[in-house]
Amino acid sequence: MAQPSGTAAAQPSSSTPARLRSAFAATEIDVRLFGMLVALVVILLGFHVLSGGKLISPANMITLAVQASGTAIMATGMVLIIVSRNIDLSVGSQVGVIAMAYAVLMTDFLPDVIGFPAVGSPLMWIVALGLGLGVGIMIGGLQGFIIAYIGVPSFVVTLGGLLAFRGVVWVLSEGAAVTGIDSTFRAFGGGANGSLGGDLTWALAIIGCLAIVALLIYNRRQRRNYGFQLRPLWAEVLIGAVACGVVLLLAYGANQEYLPRGLAARRAEELGIVVPEDELGTRFPMGVSWPIILLIGVTIVMTFVATRRRFGRYVYAYGGNPEAADLAGINTRWTIMKTFMLMGALCAIAAAIVVGRLNGAAQDLGTTQELLVIAAAVVGGTSFAGGIGTIPGAVLGAFVMQSLAYGLAFMGVPSPVQSIVAGIVLVVAVGLDSWNRRRGGGRRRAGT
Amino acid sequence: MVSLKRAMALASAAAVVSTGLVTTSMAVAQDDGACNVGVSWNNFEQPRWAAKDKPNMQATIEAGGGTYTDFDARLDSAQQQTDVETLINGGADVLVLLAQNQDAAIAALETAQNAGVPVIAYDRLIEDPNVLYITFDNVGVGKAEAEAILEAVPSGNYVLIKGDPGDANASTFLPMGWDQAGLQDKIDAGEITIVGDQFTDGWKTETAQNNMEAIIDSANADGVSIDAILAENDSTALGVVAALQAKGLDPVPLSGQDGDTANLQNVAAGWQYVDVWKNANELGKVAGAAALQLCEGVAMEDLVIPDGLIGDAVMPLDGAGATPFETPGGNSVTSFILQPQPITQDNLNLIVESNWLTLDELCAQAADGPSPAAICTDGASMDEASMAPEESAEASE
Repeated sequence: MAQPSGTAAAQPSSSTPARLRSAFAATEIDVRLFGMLVALVVILLGFHVLSGGKLISPANMITLAVQASGTAIMATGMVLIIVSRNIDLSVGSQVGVIAMAYAVLMTDFLPDVIGFPAVGSPLMWIVALGLGLGVGIMIGGLQGFIIAYIGVPSFVVTLGGLLAFRGVVWVLSEGAAVTGIDSTFRAFGGGANGSLGGDLTWALAIIGCLAIVALLIYNRRQRRNYGFQLRPLWAEVLIGAVACGVVLLLAYGANQEYLPRGLAARRAEELGIVVPEDELGTRFPMGVSWPIILLIGVTIVMTFVATRRRFGRYVYAYGGNPEAADLAGINTRWTIMKTFMLMGALCAIAAAIVVGRLNGAAQDLGTTQELLVIAAAVVGGTSFAGGIGTIPGAVLGAFVMQSLAYGLAFMGVPSPVQSIVAGIVLVVAVGLDSWNRRRGGGRRRAGT
Repeated sequence: MVSLKRAMALASAAAVVSTGLVTTSMAVAQDDGACNVGVSWNNFEQPRWAAKDKPNMQATIEAGGGTYTDFDARLDSAQQQTDVETLINGGADVLVLLAQNQDAAIAALETAQNAGVPVIAYDRLIEDPNVLYITFDNVGVGKAEAEAILEAVPSGNYVLIKGDPGDANASTFLPMGWDQAGLQDKIDAGEITIVGDQFTDGWKTETAQNNMEAIIDSANADGVSIDAILAENDSTALGVVAALQAKGLDPVPLSGQDGDTANLQNVAAGWQYVDVWKNANELGKVAGAAALQLCEGVAMEDLVIPDGLIGDAVMPLDGAGATPFETPGGNSVTSFILQPQPITQDNLNLIVESNWLTLDELCAQAADGPSPAAICTDGASMDEASMAPEESAEASE
């Protein structure tokens, strides 16, 4: 007999499963999200066993996270778009065109044509990033305007965008790959030169821990002030401890990866310290890399926007019932346009990561990525019917898809077979969720 | 009295019909006179085709009085079929076909043969005895790639990064060339171990980068080093370099083909060991010249590359006339097989001398590289040497 979720009062029951279930309900963890987290762990453990105990290691998990970061960042924006009953098929081409724009700006246009900033200037990455964000927002705004104010279906508009922007990539570079970008900008791509280092990583982790605790305390106080039912104290402590533990564990894992010997020697020179030869490879921990920081930051901001800001609530309201939202006085058209502008900005961030990783841009960057992003959002629980979907779910969905791809590549499975597996998992994941929803189980609270 | 609605309906119907008639008559009108060459590309997104092959093909055709029309199938075989039909219905006299998928292209071939249009299989083989196969010696490219890498790394752990699994070049010809250079023999003798072997969908750089990162992680987990990487082409090699850099590894001898700008820059900087250069400019010219001759009614076996059209280093081994070629499928096709040129740091001058790239473009990233090529550093010291006499002249005044 399932307890209705959300009630903190645990009814005394003699059977352990019922007590466990009510205890679980008391923590108010989203069952669906938790289920997906379990699925991700199962996939990783499965590959770990199949590969003979080699897959799960700090270095590999960092590689996986960096590879997933771009798709995950874009998936957070895709959630809002799908929730509001639209679709954006052009995100792959947006990444392609913004990436090529970054490369051309930094290698040619800014230093040679405009004359500012010069190559090697510390301002270069800021100007380039700013321009890229501007381009993304403009593209998103253009598509959003046509969709929201002129009324063309989003499928059609963004399909046109997919074709058109891919063509613009070619115009920018005549199909050639453009490499050799600003070294500070390259940090966006992670790797040895794009990581924070050991000390900053620990500092960030401690700040994160404190923030989690502060958030829990603040939420509890708000609930008391407004007369809502409180979570049992043991649940709050448990959640806080587990979350803190995870953050510290991630930091520890990130610090298990060290600068390779050549770079370590250079770092030692810069710092003016002497490091014995055999210690070079374990002297400077790399720490967490920028793509992961960007991903965490974007997830936090997007979750906040989706759940605690008017804009986010308007998006979910519109998705739940467009006519009612309109009649309630929400400026629905401006809200829709903003979802596409936000998507464009997120594409610009993802493009920065891709360009940093590749040290440039190629003609085919982002091709077919729109399908992966939509799959991530959908696997994460976003429904095409609208009104339902969570940001953390989409990020988990992206990680599920990427862990499959990475795990299969790690084990040397040919890439066509990878595609088969990805397709099957996508259908199974979404199918399970639909079946579960139909049964009436699981939590349907939108926008957690 | 006809109502307004009816009048509009009749008018629009008339417009549609007349447009159709005009187009057909235009197509018919195009049939006599100039040589109409229709080209079906498969992937303009790869730098090479649109930047090198097309302009030269187009220029050669138009210089000979022909017209040039093309479509891009965007990696879609069905789209290529449609493109071929459109070109033939539009009055093409000769069809140049860069097959997206060699098996699916057979259907497009039949469409052309039914219309009596001769077909040039451009760069990629189509298993049919009636095509004219114009390509660089793709097996020779593989052989050149492997020869260079095997010379640098005669034994050790190799990673194989191949291209799109549907492309015969990736799955058959290039690996055949690798084996001709001795790769399989060395594997059998135990001198070379393959620690990674992956295809790359659509020859995509990002996919190659992700696959290479996974292979590096797997090798690290097994505690084996990666001593050499055979990448089939430049777009995949670019992804491999990015993966090596992301993992903070030193350069590993790496192959590629196509002579893409970014990759030649990597050769100059020391990140890529060899780039097998197929001067695609020349390939386009040969296809253009062959198309013009086919229009005039010359039989395929009698086609000849005009004198002075292309450089000597590129000319087929058997001379300027078309020669038969035995395909893996047992067909014998008429062919022009041009010669590729492996480019390492030792002969980068060829790139500059043929105006493929300027010296500045070639050396753009060399200074930051792990081992810049002499041609880039020598340029700098030559500038200093030429400045010195002026300085001493000023000082003496």
